[in-house]
Amino acid sequence: MKINKFAKLGTVVALSSLFLVACGSKSSSTASKQVLNWNETAELPTMDLSTATDVVSFDTLNNTNEGLYRLGKDSKIEPGIATKTQVSSDGMKYTFTLRKNAKWSNGQKVTAKDFVYSWQRTVNPKTASQYAYLFSGIANADDIMNGKKAVSTLGIKAEGNYKLVVTLDKKLPYFKLLMGFPVFFPQNEKAVKEYGSKYGTASKYMVYNGPFKLTKWTGSNLSWTLKKNNNYWDKKDVKLSAINFKVNKSTTTSYNLYQSGKLDETTLSAEQAKQLANSKELVTRKGASTFYLEYNQTKKEYQNANIRKAISLVIDRKQFVNKVLGDGSTVAKGLASTGLAKLNGEDFASAASVKSAVATNRAEAKKLWAKGLKELGVTSLNIQLLSDDTDKAKDSTTFLQSQIEENLSGAKVSVSNVPFKTRLARSESGDFGIVVTGWGADFSDPISFLDLFTSDNSQNNGKWKNAEYDKLIEASKTTDAGNTTKRWNDLVKAQKILLNDQGISPLYQQATATLVKSKVKGVIYNAAGVNYNFKNTYIAK
Amino acid sequence: MRKYLLKRVFYMLLTLFLVATITFFLMKLMPGTPYSNQEKMTPQQIKIMNEQYGLNKPVWLQYLIYLGGMLHGDLGTSFQYSNQPVSYLISSRIGASAQLGLQAMIFGVLVGIIIGSFAAINRNTWIDTLCTVLSIIGKSVPNFVLAVLLQFYIALKLGWFPIADWGGFSYTVLPTIALGVGPLAETARFIRTGMVDVLSSDYIELARAKGLTKFGIVYHHALRNSLIPLVTLIGPYTVALMTGSMVIENIFSIPGIGEQFVKSITTNDYPTIMGVTMLFSAGLVVVILLTDIVYGIIDPRIRLSGNGD
Repeated sequence: MKINKFAKLGTVVALSSLFLVACGSKSSSTASKQVLNWNETAELPTMDLSTATDVVSFDTLNNTNEGLYRLGKDSKIEPGIATKTQVSSDGMKYTFTLRKNAKWSNGQKVTAKDFVYSWQRTVNPKTASQYAYLFSGIANADDIMNGKKAVSTLGIKAEGNYKLVVTLDKKLPYFKLLMGFPVFFPQNEKAVKEYGSKYGTASKYMVYNGPFKLTKWTGSNLSWTLKKNNNYWDKKDVKLSAINFKVNKSTTTSYNLYQSGKLDETTLSAEQAKQLANSKELVTRKGASTFYLEYNQTKKEYQNANIRKAISLVIDRKQFVNKVLGDGSTVAKGLASTGLAKLNGEDFASAASVKSAVATNRAEAKKLWAKGLKELGVTSLNIQLLSDDTDKAKDSTTFLQSQIEENLSGAKVSVSNVPFKTRLARSESGDFGIVVTGWGADFSDPISFLDLFTSDNSQNNGKWKNAEYDKLIEASKTTDAGNTTKRWNDLVKAQKILLNDQGISPLYQQATATLVKSKVKGVIYNAAGVNYNFKNTYIAK
Repeated sequence: MRKYLLKRVFYMLLTLFLVATITFFLMKLMPGTPYSNQEKMTPQQIKIMNEQYGLNKPVWLQYLIYLGGMLHGDLGTSFQYSNQPVSYLISSRIGASAQLGLQAMIFGVLVGIIIGSFAAINRNTWIDTLCTVLSIIGKSVPNFVLAVLLQFYIALKLGWFPIADWGGFSYTVLPTIALGVGPLAETARFIRTGMVDVLSSDYIELARAKGLTKFGIVYHHALRNSLIPLVTLIGPYTVALMTGSMVIENIFSIPGIGEQFVKSITTNDYPTIMGVTMLFSAGLVVVILLTDIVYGIIDPRIRLSGNGD
């Protein structure tokens, strides 16, 4: 009897384990179906596009919602909610015709009013949007943001349900590109009002009009799923049935999960990237951000161009990106990162590059250094180098310090590695000699970088000034704004002036090394603005 | 006893008030703003934002407003997670940290007691040396190194447990071990030292002379006495573990509170900093009180009120 009982129990255990195995193989066979398992390195903080500030939010918004356009490969504009666009001859008025078959996940139609509502909500100072500044240029946006005009005066009007008219204060040659950025997407007024303060704080408190719908996100958890949105107007082109996102902050962990087949993509640390340099699955994602040395030109020693040039010329940037960084970052060609814009097949970064600005020439550096010191009437110079306190930043400053001290006699570098927020505060108050800093483009146009160094820009912390540069940037926005070639030439000239004068010393263009399973096809990655677009992604057999 | 407790509760509230005050003003000394896109915002925009959030008000006024909110149970909303109430952020993530911390503590203390007693009983033999060496290793190897090793060999290579994530009990095994090794080593050391002392005392001789079994002596007489110093250690240790370990949570991708706290500091997320600090402090003062009460229970020589009532 007793034995019989044990036998029964054994059979049950064996059967249930068989059942479990069956479940296991079932789930792995769905993995070979159209399901993508993607790694994230940080939580999803919000789905409210008016207050979103981070990459994860923008990426998720981009895949679950849609604006007038969608950004395709190389930031090319692809159809979104707009089917037709008319631009007035002076370039100050855009008339968009919207598609009639676009729907929200709550069943309502996407109309021109949703755009008007969304834009007005974002520029409203009460919403406290940190990206509202992108609206600058749209009629009255600046005054509304500063509380001087009513929200209703914003240059956006709905003419009926499917016609949207946008008027500008000044020409924005990159206006269409901006429309692919989530801050300019529509919002469903009913949903915003209904959910109130909970709007965008969990997947159920949000509506979607994009290729996917967000599910299983509680507002603070470490995993969520994008499900194909069957209400999406172009659902036939959406091949994935689901994308599972998992947050793994340790690259060791995500790499282990990748190896075990639980993830189809993982971010790599610099160390891992070096070891996996020959992997066929290695994909380096170039960011639209450039890091550079910014000199405090309110100080006499850094007003001296010979000193600035000497410092730039002693840095071996190749060694820096390969040995110190090792994460796939490349030597910067100038200020604007590569891959932002092209004219006649030539990349802006190449067209506007100045070789000597990022070259290493120590003999020349020594000459310029001696000359500079003489002009200043000193024999030695204390250089205060400011940077972040991350491991990467510390390695970088150690490298820069040794390059400068070893090659320039009389140079004494004192390094301060401080937390990011402190670094920003000190940069803003001018409490630095040279700061290692970076800038990332919000949209794929060089102006996103070049605006930074005009004399009146409040974020020009080094206070480098050049009248010719200011004039060229101004021309690119006014007289030459409508002429692609002229505008391009203005910007090229401007960047060359900045580089020739070493207003800044470019160091590197940031990149992130990742591994992606070779069966994953059709992932669109753009460096500027939103990064990932999974609309056409699929799993190859 | 009641008078004693009332007095203690009053001191606890006073402590919490002081912690809140000091943290608030220290926090306001940190440079920068809580806005994550600060780098790209002009001073004018930052000014407008500060007005929206009331950060342009004098610090003492902000402090009074915060204190008022806290008394009503309102901890404010987070800056990192737009519109998310801090109380929700904490409540949705403290569970995993608390479970993990508690499991690690139970595992560490139980195994630590066994190893420690074993070492004490077999004092000055190779078993004792082995136990001592093990606890020294356990104390000196950082838990994240152990975590990475466990993850690689046990989870990835052998496949016995999940690599990361948070689901059922199996997900908690490796992080519990990694986190529990610290208290394990500490406990083993304490118990060994305490028990060696106790085992050489007169009353143990007496117990032996009475003919009690070895187990009986160790369990009823030696262990109970050597537990006393441990009680002091366990309380604060448990709070520390339950409020989250950033490193272990990151390695095993556990949705805990540990990283949230660290990140709130680096991003100047004022309401979250305050919320988590207050939670931690409250846990600590309560546990200190409990420790003192437990003292009185396990050691009759200690009287709580001092006048013998």
